[in-house]
Amino acid sequence: MANLQKSEPSLGFVIPVYSSVITLLIIVMTCVELCDAVTVVDVYRLVQYDVGGMPFGSRLAALNHHAGSAVLSSGAADLSRTVLILPIRELNLTFIRESIGRRKPLGGLLLLLPLDFSPQDIENIGEADHSSAKQLVKEVLVELEQLLIHANIPYPVYFGFEDDDVNSVLADVKRNDATGQLATATTGGYKLVVAAPEPKKIASPTISNTQGWLPGLKADGGSNQLPTIAIVASYDTFGAAPALSVGSDSSGSGVVAVLEIARLFSILYSNPKTRGRYNLLFGMTSGGPYNYNGTQKWLHSLDQRFRETIDYAICLNSIGSSSNELWMHVSKPPENAYIKQIFEGFSNVAEELGLKVGLKHKKINISNPRVAWEHEQFSRLRVTALTVSELSVAPELLESTGGLSDKRQFVDEASISRSVKLVAESLARHIYGQEGKTIDIFADNSSLAVNPSYIRSWLDLLSATPRVAPFLSKNDPLIMALKKELTDHTVEVNVQQEVLDGIFTFYDSTSSRLHIYQVASVTFDLLLLLGLGSYLIVLFSFLVITTRGLDDLISLFRRPSSRKMKTA
Amino acid sequence: MTLFHFFNCAILTFGPHAVYYSATPLSEYDTLGTSIKAAVVYLITALVKLVCLATFLNVSETDSFDPYQELLKALIGFIDVAGLYFALTQLTHRNISQCHKFQAVGLGWAFADSVLHRLAPLWVGARGLEFTWDYIFQGLEANANLVLSLSLAALGSLMWLRKNKPKTLIPIIYACAGIVATMPSITSYLRQGLGWHLPKIVGFELFTSLAMAFISWQLFAACQRPSN
Repeated sequence: MANLQKSEPSLGFVIPVYSSVITLLIIVMTCVELCDAVTVVDVYRLVQYDVGGMPFGSRLAALNHHAGSAVLSSGAADLSRTVLILPIRELNLTFIRESIGRRKPLGGLLLLLPLDFSPQDIENIGEADHSSAKQLVKEVLVELEQLLIHANIPYPVYFGFEDDDVNSVLADVKRNDATGQLATATTGGYKLVVAAPEPKKIASPTISNTQGWLPGLKADGGSNQLPTIAIVASYDTFGAAPALSVGSDSSGSGVVAVLEIARLFSILYSNPKTRGRYNLLFGMTSGGPYNYNGTQKWLHSLDQRFRETIDYAICLNSIGSSSNELWMHVSKPPENAYIKQIFEGFSNVAEELGLKVGLKHKKINISNPRVAWEHEQFSRLRVTALTVSELSVAPELLESTGGLSDKRQFVDEASISRSVKLVAESLARHIYGQEGKTIDIFADNSSLAVNPSYIRSWLDLLSATPRVAPFLSKNDPLIMALKKELTDHTVEVNVQQEVLDGIFTFYDSTSSRLHIYQVASVTFDLLLLLGLGSYLIVLFSFLVITTRGLDDLISLFRRPSSRKMKTA
Repeated sequence: MTLFHFFNCAILTFGPHAVYYSATPLSEYDTLGTSIKAAVVYLITALVKLVCLATFLNVSETDSFDPYQELLKALIGFIDVAGLYFALTQLTHRNISQCHKFQAVGLGWAFADSVLHRLAPLWVGARGLEFTWDYIFQGLEANANLVLSLSLAALGSLMWLRKNKPKTLIPIIYACAGIVATMPSITSYLRQGLGWHLPKIVGFELFTSLAMAFISWQLFAACQRPSN
């Protein structure tokens, strides 16, 4: 018989091979561990911020609890270790109001938005959608948002989308909850895990204001003495979920309008024969939701003599909805001759376009820090200004700032085109002294027509970019893109970076990945252990009986080393 | 919880081997050395099989059942049989009776198979939070595999170690050995060709392993009688 020496040499190379295999195994283990779940979805956290030290929003980010559904919300069960999954379509607002108001303990909240609110769905948008179901969801979202951002919630709140995986998990959870049992460690079910670090304060959030300058036709005295007209819009948003706040109407429409007006006037001003005797200043400010902080800082940074040459400023805010009515908000009394003149000019053009323009007056109170409209910041520095908006009433703090419900599908680009034409035409008639005359400077099908595809492409871009100011870095691609676009249309572009005022503090961690695991209960594991134990014992007894005989089995039983045995 | 589940599946997969060793007279005759040598032979056989598979087999994109590839796999599977032959006949054992020799070799063979094929997936998968039935089925499969290895070792020892066999039983012995050796190919055909799911396959494996064990036990007893 061949006698192979398999001792020393083989052992020598076996050990390093095995140790490297084990190391590889450990590495593979740690990688595989992370993608172990039934489902992994992207979720977006409720905003967390402080105003003057007072905490608001959801204060926690990490989540590790069992899932429950709306069925449980009606009972009196203890939900402090449960995460409720609530689709927005079937949401019961009173329940949320109560549990927040009474500070009921809850493990967490996962709110599911309909799939067409997802930012990835932009390509499928056609005309503005006005179905009643969508409007209902929109209203619920507006109310829910206001409720959530003004409450101090001690547990994590996340927003997700109703895709297939989450829907099947929710159906399962609802079925389990119908039996009346709470999913805990001893009863199995689904576990929702978000591994997020503790949210940290964002130190010195920057706001960036961009301005573009189109000089007018110099008279012999030099362009410094020409009057200036400013056209301004605020481009940032604020909402319940900062990673989803795209604000298509609230600030997106304004930005798109400013860009289009800049483009039109740059065509006019490029030729000295058609250059007007007014300088034009285009501004895109940040910090809108926070009492127009950015506008204030921008205006303070302008030279005072220059500020005095500003004839008037037009601020654009929310001009994208498909109603035919626009409002001009002013802080100077309407009897003021200048305001009357401007309003008449607008009304004439509006009539021709089939729009209705109304005038609203709101006095500003210098001692009140609340700034509801952008033109009020101009008025506080004694510059005549007005805001053109579809909103008839001044919004409250952090209201109508482009939140969850402000999506691309609710914006009508034809309305934006019309509003652009309104503002541009009124401006042009004023600049070229053609007020009251029937002349169509930006006529359709001319080289100066308002370009709908330009508006559409910028609107689509802005509707896919969340723009909450503290989360935009100094060199954010969007800010660079706006700067480049203004550089194309205007002569001189400046970007001003400021720090957001101290009373608002924001915390990071706005989006994470949620892992949904299907877990078995401890009772199941215990039962399995019991079953396996008895199987092994039976196997042992069977083998002893067949190979050694029954007497051996009994003699084992009598052995002093105690073994708990049950004879079959 | 999850380490608990890992522990459960581990005792299902590896427990029967330990129980078999301690329950039967193997422990009294101290045949651990034989089992370990058989395990090492299994490892080497597995490496050789791997090299052959890598050389001769082409990876198919689809999951369908390709008869030619499966035939090739079955032929390579016979290397298993060669390894078992080597372990039974060529390794020097102390004087242990044939009855115990095949049991020790079969046990070592099955234990090495379980460790190599099932320990890594168990460690990586069963410890996660997610619960699946897969690992319990894997454990049951390990049990069936143990019984199959023992029957193959028994038939192998009958074929190669016993010189005086009743003439009528020889073809039956070879036929049974052939069936047991090609069991892996049959299982993969069922999984891919007929599309059976894991519970059904495990049930089939358990059933066939018990049937083959019974048949080989009868054959072994039949061959034992003339020499007594």
